[in-house]
Amino acid sequence: MRLSNAAMGRGLMVLSIGTRFGVLVLICLLALWTEYLNLKVGYGNARLVELSAGWGMRLFYEASDAFFSFFGDAVVVAQKNAGMTWSIRVGGVPFTDPVALLSVLLQGRVPELGFALGVLLPLLLAAFLGRVFCAYVCPASLLFFAIARVRRLLGSFFYFFDLKVGQSMAWGVLCGSLAVVLYWGHGVWTLILPYFAMGQTIFHSIALGALSVSVYSLVVFTILDLCLGLQFTCRYVCPTGRLLGWVGHRARVVVRREATRCVQQCTACADICPLAVSPKLDQTRDCSLCGECLVACPTQCLSIGRKSK
Amino acid sequence: MKRRGFIRSFLVGGLVAALLPLVDWLPQRFRSRRYLRPPGAREEEDFLAACIRCGQCANVCPNKCISLAGLEDGLENLGTPKIVARARACILCMACTQVCPTGALAKLAPTEEGVAAVDMGVAFVITDLCYSYAGRTCGACYHACPLPGKALKVGLFERPTIDADHCVGCGLCEQACIHMPQAIRVMSRAELEART
Repeated sequence: MRLSNAAMGRGLMVLSIGTRFGVLVLICLLALWTEYLNLKVGYGNARLVELSAGWGMRLFYEASDAFFSFFGDAVVVAQKNAGMTWSIRVGGVPFTDPVALLSVLLQGRVPELGFALGVLLPLLLAAFLGRVFCAYVCPASLLFFAIARVRRLLGSFFYFFDLKVGQSMAWGVLCGSLAVVLYWGHGVWTLILPYFAMGQTIFHSIALGALSVSVYSLVVFTILDLCLGLQFTCRYVCPTGRLLGWVGHRARVVVRREATRCVQQCTACADICPLAVSPKLDQTRDCSLCGECLVACPTQCLSIGRKSK
Repeated sequence: MKRRGFIRSFLVGGLVAALLPLVDWLPQRFRSRRYLRPPGAREEEDFLAACIRCGQCANVCPNKCISLAGLEDGLENLGTPKIVARARACILCMACTQVCPTGALAKLAPTEEGVAAVDMGVAFVITDLCYSYAGRTCGACYHACPLPGKALKVGLFERPTIDADHCVGCGLCEQACIHMPQAIRVMSRAELEART
């Protein structure tokens, strides 16, 4: 039995929310593992951890200890995981944001091998599946997803401004930031990249017990999304999303439309798409395979599959 | 017409990004550099160009001595790792140098040679404040030093003297000093030269 297109879309949406939550949890865990390492090296004893940090920390300590000990020396294994999304290391494997590599190359530095190879997986993923990073990995897009829901829920009671500017605005942000990086260093990315701001804020608040300045960035992005336009940040500001969208403009797996079943006056898919893609016009550049249009389509003429030539 | 819109949006985006450094003008910043870089850090300018602010060093630090700079240290230092020795000093476990993805921290082993290669800064004693120099035997810094007898030597009444050639600048002496304010301080070699 084949799944109906709407059911598939719903499944994809659930999956995308799940994986993004997974990434969010991973970031929180990475920050918490700093505390774990501290307790492990300092005390190395669950009872002492409970006395100094409480039973909650003891539970976390024992769970982490059992988890890491499974793979070998707990401290060594734990130190193989680190980072805040834009350059992250999981199980010793580095993942790098292409923007980070660009930024380092621009400073005239030869990047380390592991750092440079870290962009391979994100780029390959983007080349084959398109902008899936935005719907399945980016923890900040969870925030923007929620804001889009709020806008839709309250849309029948209030008027929301919906500004549409060109996608080239994100290219402008990318180039402008690279120019700023030349003089002020890579630190500006913590304020510009939404998911880096998210990671920085989470890491600061959990591991360092302080509020990072990047929280102001998140506030600005939230205001942009609420007051300026639907999914404004993802569509027109985020440089990483723009870059991955460009890499994936010939993605193999896209949203397909059965033209015979499509209703002529209907624009449900274009209205709901978070990334300003229009499956209606068969423009699938920037598609993140989030599955929202599959659910919205009244005749279920949209499906996800290999691109037809 | 379409190209015009493209260029306009592009310029708006570029302008927004270019205006971002205005946050550097936020008032009430203090820039007296009273912090150290993690072990293995390159020369300051080189370090700032290489460090991508990923925070992995702070994440693996078992001593939790590495924190990440905020805007109070200026936009160019935003998100870079720093160690405030008086709050918590480096134990030279070298975990941060192993994970740094961009080589901003050179890889060092937690061995004797690895420790000798560290150059975070150099300690210096403010003899006016030090208890031992006032005739009250203390020696707290000597007992904290990871290279006792080499980097930090003691004389009569446990008066500390620093051997700048051997001192790696981990800051454990500054953390341990029982005088308030601390009578022994660690700062980068360049800064110490500028001040003396």
